Amino acid sequence: MDEKILILGIGNDILKDDGIGPRLVKDLQKSSFPEGISFKTSSMGGLEILELIRDYHTVMILDAIKTKDGNPGDVYYFNPSDFHETMHLSNLHDVNFITALELAKKIKLSIPETIHIIAVEILEDMEFGRSLSPELEEKYPEILSRVQEHLQSKLFPD
Amino acid sequence: MKTLTIDPITRLEGHGKIDIFLNDEGDVENVYFQVPELRGFEKFCEGRPVEELPSIVTKICGVCPGCHHMASGKAVDAVFGLEPPPTAKKLRELFYMAHFVHSHIAHFYALAAPDFVVGPNAPAAERNILGVINKVGLEIGTEVIKQRRIAQEIQALLGGHQTHVVMNIPGGVKKGLTEEERDDIVKKAEGFVEFSKFSMQLFKDVVIGNKDYVNIILNGPYSLKIHSMGLVDKNKKVNFYDGTVRVVDTDGKELYNYAPKDYMDFVEERVEQWSYLKFPYLKKIGWKGFVEGQDSGVYQATPLSRLNASEGMATPIAQKEYDFMYETLGGKPVHATLAMHWARLVELIYSAEHCLELAKDPDITGKELRAPIDKIVGEGVGIVEAQRGTLTHHYWTDDKGMVRKVNLIVGTTNNHAAICMSLKKAAQGLINKGNPATEGTLNMIEMAFRAYDPCFSCATHSLPGQMKMVVNFLDLDGKLIRSIGR
Repeated sequence: MDEKILILGIGNDILKDDGIGPRLVKDLQKSSFPEGISFKTSSMGGLEILELIRDYHTVMILDAIKTKDGNPGDVYYFNPSDFHETMHLSNLHDVNFITALELAKKIKLSIPETIHIIAVEILEDMEFGRSLSPELEEKYPEILSRVQEHLQSKLFPD
Repeated sequence: MKTLTIDPITRLEGHGKIDIFLNDEGDVENVYFQVPELRGFEKFCEGRPVEELPSIVTKICGVCPGCHHMASGKAVDAVFGLEPPPTAKKLRELFYMAHFVHSHIAHFYALAAPDFVVGPNAPAAERNILGVINKVGLEIGTEVIKQRRIAQEIQALLGGHQTHVVMNIPGGVKKGLTEEERDDIVKKAEGFVEFSKFSMQLFKDVVIGNKDYVNIILNGPYSLKIHSMGLVDKNKKVNFYDGTVRVVDTDGKELYNYAPKDYMDFVEERVEQWSYLKFPYLKKIGWKGFVEGQDSGVYQATPLSRLNASEGMATPIAQKEYDFMYETLGGKPVHATLAMHWARLVELIYSAEHCLELAKDPDITGKELRAPIDKIVGEGVGIVEAQRGTLTHHYWTDDKGMVRKVNLIVGTTNNHAAICMSLKKAAQGLINKGNPATEGTLNMIEMAFRAYDPCFSCATHSLPGQMKMVVNFLDLDGKLIRSIGR
């Protein structure tokens, strides 16, 4: 495959549901994918994301999100043009993801032409722990399967 | 067609808010700033081998993982009664200087510069790093990204990973540096020195060269006369990695200069019913409330307080800039909150210069990387300066080195009272019956807050980049009058 694709899970894996992105990436890695797909996890945001995604043609980012009246386990799809703030694509000590992307374009950094963002509605991200909250754990197989569907339809539409 | 509206909230929503209470005349009566607290980190650590903690604590915070790793490494050394050999200590410090360079560059260009280079009253859409590079040149944006990447490369080389650092082990570090690697770091550090000097010059040209800005810094509603804390070396020069904790009073006179292990004799934490986060204060003075002045127990631990609490910088260019800052601002100590940005740049230069010094140090490629373990003391304190303030890790273990208890005082927690007071002062200075709050006021209040670069419970990496801030205006009965925010 000529185009370099990255699947990037972001979140803190010892902060309960916040770690859903990295956990999904670890499980997705077990499935069979065409060669040339890279998988990464990170708990960083802002300008750091540029360093992670540079030199890839396509990136799919998996992050946690909390929305008003959201149902834990719901899976949303965004692209940067209809971007909403997910947990790690925002950063108080840095710039947000959209600003980082604009900056990258301005200074002609090699960043992906296509960026997909998948966000999972979470419940608990204020307590340290390595497991997901029970509600999310129960729905995890369903979440994984929804994410796989998005991956298939966005990255391999044929 | 179905429209799905997603309205994201953050961890701060509901708790992380500023409540401004107005009296009947429309003047600010009081301000409360509430933040959330992450729960259970201490529990998470209990029962684990203490030598695992330096690598676990990097996951407390995605913003300053290296600071937690260093404080933790030092606390673990103390648990085993070990002093790392010179090479190990210098390698840790070399890593740490790169960590400071990385962080301070981001704060200046992404968070501080927009208010001054673009302007405090500029439209919010332009007041960001893009606005800054539009004004000062695209090549500066390229350089910001490049220098940060280089700093990350040094951290990754020395730390094993740039974020999830695995460098520190009891009494030392896991791996050393080859001559080739050292030569490479020397070149990179030379670049840091040049870029930090450039950044300082930019600040001088744009901010210090503008009388209105100097006036805002010195005479705006942004001063706070409280005590200053910072880690110093034997010569009382600023040190980020090691030394004693020095506290000077509001006149700059030394109050204390204590060893990290004695911190509990000097700092005590207080709980207020309305906030999840504790309020540390100077124990020997006592808690006198949210008040300024010589008799207050409130202190700050920030880039500015580190300079106030020291007798200077340990490197030549930083020392020159230190002298110039105090000369320009009317002598030491400085109590102007916005001068923190200037102090941060003095620290950036120091970090760059010290990085270069350490890389050139003959010890840095030494082979003795750790001290052997021969006992377990069972208790240890590690204190470093994090970018956002003095960071304390305190561990207790059983006689096998298994963790029984953990206590952390993170950088921003030191400044909790000071931040609340700075916000109240800014609100009182900017809002009154003749000047009701506007969007511009929100940014001016936010500037008081942003100077501290707060990192609450090391959890705030979840906040939106354009900081989501909700300011509620309430009457004295707590009834909401209006709410503004982004």
